[in-house]
Amino acid sequence: MQKHRTRVGVVALAALALAALGLAGSAQAKLVGNYTKFAQCPYENTEVKKCIYSTTNSGEVVLGKKVVPIEKAVVLQGGYGAIQENNFSKFYGASNGITLSKAQQNVPGGLLGIIPEASQPALVKALIKFFFENKLTGVNSTLELAKPATAIRVSENNLSGENGIALELPVRVHLENPFLGKSCFVGSESSPILWQLTTGTTAPPGPNKAITGTLGEIEFLEEGRILEAKGTKLVDNAWSAPKAAGCGGILSFLVTPIINAQLGSTTAGNNTAILNNTLFVGSAAAVRKNNTENP
Amino acid sequence: MRTKAAAIGALAALAVLCAMFASSASAAPAWKFETKSLEGTEVVLGGAIESSMTVPGLTTKCEDFLYKLTVENSAGTGKGSLTEMPLYNCTTNSTACTVGKIGAEKLPWASHLTTVSTTPYIIIEGVKVAIYYEGEECVLGETLVTVAGSAGGSIDNTKETATFNSSTLSASKTELKALGQKIEWNGLFPTEAFQWHREQALSVS
Repeated sequence: MQKHRTRVGVVALAALALAALGLAGSAQAKLVGNYTKFAQCPYENTEVKKCIYSTTNSGEVVLGKKVVPIEKAVVLQGGYGAIQENNFSKFYGASNGITLSKAQQNVPGGLLGIIPEASQPALVKALIKFFFENKLTGVNSTLELAKPATAIRVSENNLSGENGIALELPVRVHLENPFLGKSCFVGSESSPILWQLTTGTTAPPGPNKAITGTLGEIEFLEEGRILEAKGTKLVDNAWSAPKAAGCGGILSFLVTPIINAQLGSTTAGNNTAILNNTLFVGSAAAVRKNNTENP
Repeated sequence: MRTKAAAIGALAALAVLCAMFASSASAAPAWKFETKSLEGTEVVLGGAIESSMTVPGLTTKCEDFLYKLTVENSAGTGKGSLTEMPLYNCTTNSTACTVGKIGAEKLPWASHLTTVSTTPYIIIEGVKVAIYYEGEECVLGETLVTVAGSAGGSIDNTKETATFNSSTLSASKTELKALGQKIEWNGLFPTEAFQWHREQALSVS
């Protein structure tokens, strides 16, 4: 009798283990083929109608007098909901929290490019000398989301129609160098740089002139479930940027004004964002289905 | 002597210019019924024998692609006004996408006749068709797709048809765009009068 009970217990445990394995299997369901790009799309949320994965491979950001070419890929990923009455869709951030990847772009000219040695206070000069001696002259510029991902807005009608705002992105620029400290930013959550990117033509105030983007060359994959656009050019040159803040650590009161002077005017008409992308948009329902089909 | 030679030269140049204009004027074809030039207006209507539009990876076909074109000759050149173009029974080659709503916008569309390498062509301008695709798994679900531009089709006087395809659009230097792309449009339309010249042979020359 005791033996029989033990056997029943073993069988039950084995069944439990198998069930657990089964559950683990379904939890580890994975996307395959063209759907793998959407791994971080919050497609389990049924309010998400489309998944997006966009890689900015090149382009440039002009902030006042400084031009920073985009040399390292930046990824925007997540999902968006149904089109609302205002023609925009609500954005849902990436499941892993990395909606906009942080890629450090090299600022041409490095530290001297943004803090020229001449005519600086003696303390700043001495520090610059120290950083040069220690070969810490490179400056990186990293684009970051300035607000939660839910503040991003997408209009796929404007994106595909090459007219009007296709993507609204609240961002800030993080200037990084040991001399600049960890908190040197242009833009903040309360005062972000608001890019209103278009695949159409901009209408900036002077001195900038109109520039034109494009949806690029599109192709439908998976029988119309995924759209791939190559050479998508998103542009905005009508945005304004607040002044840099928090640069130079404890010497911020000295360094930040120097950087702002070097940037020059960053009012609307003096800045440009040109983002050259490869864009993938997928139906969230199709991504969900692909996930369940591949346990 | 010099003055006379100059005058002869100027006259010869003028004659060449006149000949050039005369030849370009004769190149503009007119609508004809039983080989006689149309006077006044006529209504040409029919349904596409076949019609499809392709963006790479997605083809949309409409079984019932009707049209109504009012035609006339103005200063010897055939003109027209496409006033109706209802589209029905449209499908795609995708298992994910169906055609929800489709319709011509900003009608009437102006048209005119021209000649491309001795072949008569009809050019339709201001084309605008709005398409809403449906399907939960369709990436274009809910997205407005607008087909816009101009389209040139070759006219076959023997078969009384107008053919639109990538070759005719290219030859007539016209293009239709959707989703920022030049799209492929294939269509074969009968050209038949349905008013004063019903059952009369329609030709363009």
